[in-house]
Amino acid sequence: MTKAIPRIGSHRNGRIGSRKNGRRIPKGVIHVQASFNNTIITVTDVRGRVVSWASAGTSGFKGTRRGTPYAAQAAAVNAIHTAVDQGMQRAEVMIKGPGLGRDAALRAIRRSGILLSFVRDITPMPHNGCRPPKKRRV
Amino acid sequence: MLVLARPPPSPPLNLSLRSPLAHGDLNPNRLLLLLPFHAPPNSMAAATGTRRRRRRSGGGRGGLEVTCMANQRRVRMVAKQIQRELSDMLLTDKVLQYAVLPEASLGADRYLSSLTTISDVEVSGDLQVVKVYVSVFGDERGREVAIAGLKAKAKYVRSELGRRMKLRLTPEIRFIEDDSLERGSRVLAILDRLKDEKKRIEEDDEQFEQSNISEEDEDDKDEPDERIIYVK
Repeated sequence: MTKAIPRIGSHRNGRIGSRKNGRRIPKGVIHVQASFNNTIITVTDVRGRVVSWASAGTSGFKGTRRGTPYAAQAAAVNAIHTAVDQGMQRAEVMIKGPGLGRDAALRAIRRSGILLSFVRDITPMPHNGCRPPKKRRV
Repeated sequence: MLVLARPPPSPPLNLSLRSPLAHGDLNPNRLLLLLPFHAPPNSMAAATGTRRRRRRSGGGRGGLEVTCMANQRRVRMVAKQIQRELSDMLLTDKVLQYAVLPEASLGADRYLSSLTTISDVEVSGDLQVVKVYVSVFGDERGREVAIAGLKAKAKYVRSELGRRMKLRLTPEIRFIEDDSLERGSRVLAILDRLKDEKKRIEEDDEQFEQSNISEEDEDDKDEPDERIIYVK
C-alpha cells in the first residue's frame, strides 16, 4: 500500500513515474528493524515514503551470520549510501525489536557522517491484545 | 564426572551421585571437580582433614556437594534463551527500563538518550552462573547510569528470569559492560578514514598528471613518494 499523497501536477504529467533521481531530501528517517536473525534498515523521508532499504541478507550474509552486529553495520552502510547521494544530512532513527542490530546500526549511522537528531524506540507493544506464541522449552 | 543430557526429574538426592564423603577415598582429583563457589572456603585444606566441616556446610542432606555438568548443546540453548528473555525484559519490563533509563519514569521514553543492548550471554558449564555482556550506546554518563542501574537490579532480574524460564536452579546473573562493539566501530572508522585518504591521494595524482603533461621529470620524482602511505 503506497501512501496516497495528492500531487497537483499529476494530471498534466499523465504518468506517475518514479521521481527518485530528482528528489533532494535534507532530512529523513531511518527505520531499523532488528530481530534476532536479521536486521532490516529502511531509509525514508519524513512522511514515510521509502528512499532505499538494505538488510543483512541483501548485504551478502546468509544464515546465522545475518544476525551478527557486523552484518547490521554492513547493511546500514549500504542503505545510507543511496541516501547520502541524495543529499541527506540529518536523520531521525526509529528502532524496532530486540537484537544486536540496534547498537551496531546506530554506530554505523553515526560513523557515516549523517547527523543523528533523535533516536526513538518503536517496538510494537500490545496493550494486552493477541495471544503470544507458546513459550519455548529448553 | 557425571555428564547429564537433561536434568533428571527426581531431586538429586535419590540418584547415585558420587560424593567424596560417601566413598571414603578422598581423591584429590575428584575434589577438584567441585567448583570454588560451591565448596566451603577450606575445602582444599580439608581434603585430607576432617569430614565434619563439609557435613556442616551441606546441611540436612548429609553433606552432599552436587555438581552436574550439562551437555554443551544444552548450555548453548539455555544461553540463547536467556538472551531472548533478557532482551524482551529490557523492552517490556517497566522496572528494568526505569533502572536503565531514569528519565523514562518522567515520561520521556520515546526519545532516548541511551540505548542498551544485550550483546552476549555466557553460561557456565553447570548452568549456575550467567555473565551478561551489555553494550550501551550513548554518552559517558548515560553508560554509567545504565550499567549501575542494571547491576542494582540484578536480583530482580534473577527472580524475573526464574518466573519466565523453567530451570531447575535459576542462575546467578552478573552484568558486565561490553565495549567490543565500540572498539570495532572505532577500528572501522579508522579503516574508512585511511581508505578515503588513499582515494584522495590517488585522485590528486591523476589531476596532477593531467594538468602537467610537459613537466614529466618532476612527476617521476614526486609520484613514488605520494603513493606510499605509511600506516602507523
